[in-house]
Amino acid sequence: MDSQAPAPAQHPKYAWPEKPRLIGTRVSRIDGPLKVTGRAKYSYDILRPGMLYGRIVRSPHAHARLKSIDATAAEKAPGVKALLITIKPGDKVLYPGQEIGALAAATEQQAADALRLIKVEWDVLPALATVEQSMRPEAPQVFTPANTRRGTAQEDGNLDTGFAAAAHTVEGTYSTQVQTHTSLETHGCICEWNGENLTAWVSTQAVHGTREGFAAGLKIPQANVRVITEFMGGGFGSKFGPDIQGLLCARVAKAAGAPVKMMLDRKEEHLTTGNRPSAFARVRAGVAADGKLTAFDAQTWGTGGAGAGSDYPLPYIYTFPNRRRTHTDVYINSGQQRAMRAPGHPQGCFVTEVLMDELADRVRMDPMEFRLKNLPPLAPNAMWAKYFPMGAERINWKSRHVTGDPTPGPIKRGLGCSANRWGGAGQGARAHCEIGSDGSVVMRCGTQDIGTGNRTIMAMVVAETLGLEVNQVTIELGDSNQPFAPGSGGSTTAAAVMPAMRVTAGKARDALFERIAPQLGVPVDQISMGVGTVLVSLSTRDPLSDAQSAARSGQAPSSRSISWRDACRLLGTIPVSVDGQWERGLSAGGTSGVQFADVEVDIETGITKVRKIVCVQDCGLIVDAKTAETQCYGGIISGLNYAVFEERILDRNTANMVNPNMEWYHMAGQSDIPEIDVVLVDQPERGVIGIGEPPAVATAAAVANAIRNATGVTLRSIPITPDRLLTELERAGGTN
Amino acid sequence: MDIPKPASPLVNEHHCSNLRHKGMYVMSVPDPDEFKFYDRYDATHYWCTCTQKALGPDGLSVHPTTCQHGGERGCCE
Repeated sequence: MDSQAPAPAQHPKYAWPEKPRLIGTRVSRIDGPLKVTGRAKYSYDILRPGMLYGRIVRSPHAHARLKSIDATAAEKAPGVKALLITIKPGDKVLYPGQEIGALAAATEQQAADALRLIKVEWDVLPALATVEQSMRPEAPQVFTPANTRRGTAQEDGNLDTGFAAAAHTVEGTYSTQVQTHTSLETHGCICEWNGENLTAWVSTQAVHGTREGFAAGLKIPQANVRVITEFMGGGFGSKFGPDIQGLLCARVAKAAGAPVKMMLDRKEEHLTTGNRPSAFARVRAGVAADGKLTAFDAQTWGTGGAGAGSDYPLPYIYTFPNRRRTHTDVYINSGQQRAMRAPGHPQGCFVTEVLMDELADRVRMDPMEFRLKNLPPLAPNAMWAKYFPMGAERINWKSRHVTGDPTPGPIKRGLGCSANRWGGAGQGARAHCEIGSDGSVVMRCGTQDIGTGNRTIMAMVVAETLGLEVNQVTIELGDSNQPFAPGSGGSTTAAAVMPAMRVTAGKARDALFERIAPQLGVPVDQISMGVGTVLVSLSTRDPLSDAQSAARSGQAPSSRSISWRDACRLLGTIPVSVDGQWERGLSAGGTSGVQFADVEVDIETGITKVRKIVCVQDCGLIVDAKTAETQCYGGIISGLNYAVFEERILDRNTANMVNPNMEWYHMAGQSDIPEIDVVLVDQPERGVIGIGEPPAVATAAAVANAIRNATGVTLRSIPITPDRLLTELERAGGTN
Repeated sequence: MDIPKPASPLVNEHHCSNLRHKGMYVMSVPDPDEFKFYDRYDATHYWCTCTQKALGPDGLSVHPTTCQHGGERGCCE
């Protein structure tokens, strides 16, 4: 395998500028006006001539065996052009909403009406709705080879020695809920065939990966498939291929001989397009009298749904020298998990960070000082020891009281903190750049902007490299016909694509200089880039001496400048056209960050109001401070939802989701969003690192610890909803 | 020429060639320091490229331990 250390160790030809003009500044999204005016066309907005509307036939049951299916009436229903059934009698379904067919009709209503005409008889089987049901010895065996998959114990050090050294221990069971992705744009696509060639407009995080998926699933050549994602409304890890709805859409489009749009509705999203697995941890941990962690012993489990895993990193970040952990995947009859914004990290962070506050109380230490005592050594990819004091200053940590707000009255204030880490190193992107004789610059790259601002930072890097303004660069992305770029996941896009932008634009600049040098009558090494100009050293003959241009530029007498447009005009009819790709030394991996929460809890209603979140976060070289900040905002709001709002709730008898909408599946509204104070730490020497995921990791733990600090009760389970908080307060006998 | 590869343990000669996960499409660079901060874990979501979901053509869940040549599943390629 081709691997590299995360930190750049070389000095590449197209190194990042030491004194950048644009990089690191605050640039608004170049596609912002298109989005706020509705001119940006998402997959959901695509309309094709003669387009039909597709719907998927789904199982209403969590676990059932098909007895019979009759689609005759649906096939004859008004407007229906194609119908496909993919299940046969005797087959089983394992989760509600499982796909068993699809149809396409002239209108959405006709498609919905036809769905209801399909007569299906099921033999409904016992379903497993909870991990407790699945783990019972008497549970029916639903999954093959078993309802659980037990992992191998991980051990380091000596647990007996560790607990012998402990002055105090904490034991408890911690848990996190299932959270669904809830992307604003649902999954889906529009499929259009032209003979044996398929064009698909897909809401995806990987246009090239989705092309490969369509080709493999449909058994057609990849060369016959084109995938387009010009704008995309979020995926958070759940959109990495055509998905089953993509294959069904393509098949019914082929059968109907017409383009078909098949975008899922919100219920389908909650049921079938992925989720963050639940996590449970039965933990015993020890701490020495001096505040050093000594031992950690955990049994963990969780569910990723029907046959899918649920593992997560534990303990998280802090150094337990003696530890043991065994994880068990537990399967239930629900839709399967998918990668979701920092897979596993929020779970591990929550369990560890709540435990850390409990241990800190045992040794009567300030929780932040306790953390500082147990962190890994300071390093470029492990900066927590520096960031905790920075965040403490911003949140006014010195105002923190000991656990349990002593203030009279029902409103209690509290502060909490936590830490996160992530990788964020990418590679492999390729690009193509053209510079026209009219000065236009087009950069093409088959990456995708999944809502992160990728398009904007690409334009910034190209503009920086060519001495132009951002609006002088045209970025074309989101098309599998463009040069290859990897899927957007793992926060790797910026680190994969920005080096490709820098290198390709740099090569285009060099090619431009090579082309115009003979016409300028100077060696190519006497040409350099200015801002909106090309600079020519006057140390040699200059047949195209341009007094007017020199006067405009105000350059030193040792050189003269030619405007960008005049320089490009020398290209004549043939543009500069170059390919480039990611190169080492311009990007890295390994980020660290901390977050602090300031909360207010009404102990009479159980309602938590998060007043403020402080986020100290690095991401290597910051390309656009504004889009980097917005990534932090999004991640923190996601973490806030995880802490106090979001939860997939299944009926314990049927395993059907009882809140598959955006009314009862709670998420923060505008008034729930706290003040968010983002401190970005620039590390230009490391190169570009992604920032999409790390800010989402630590928020829930910081909020939970702040609630604990406010109320004096330890909530080892999220979401911390009013009913749960009141229950715990009641159990603890109220607060002081 | 430097041609990076996905940092993916799949697909190798033992696994079904239709087994997929996100890491096969995202070209991340492994951080050699990562496991200084926690132990190894596997949060991977797997799917079958034939069905484009987490269940294979035989209706059973897909996973590297079961999607292997010579195993009991007849759908592996």
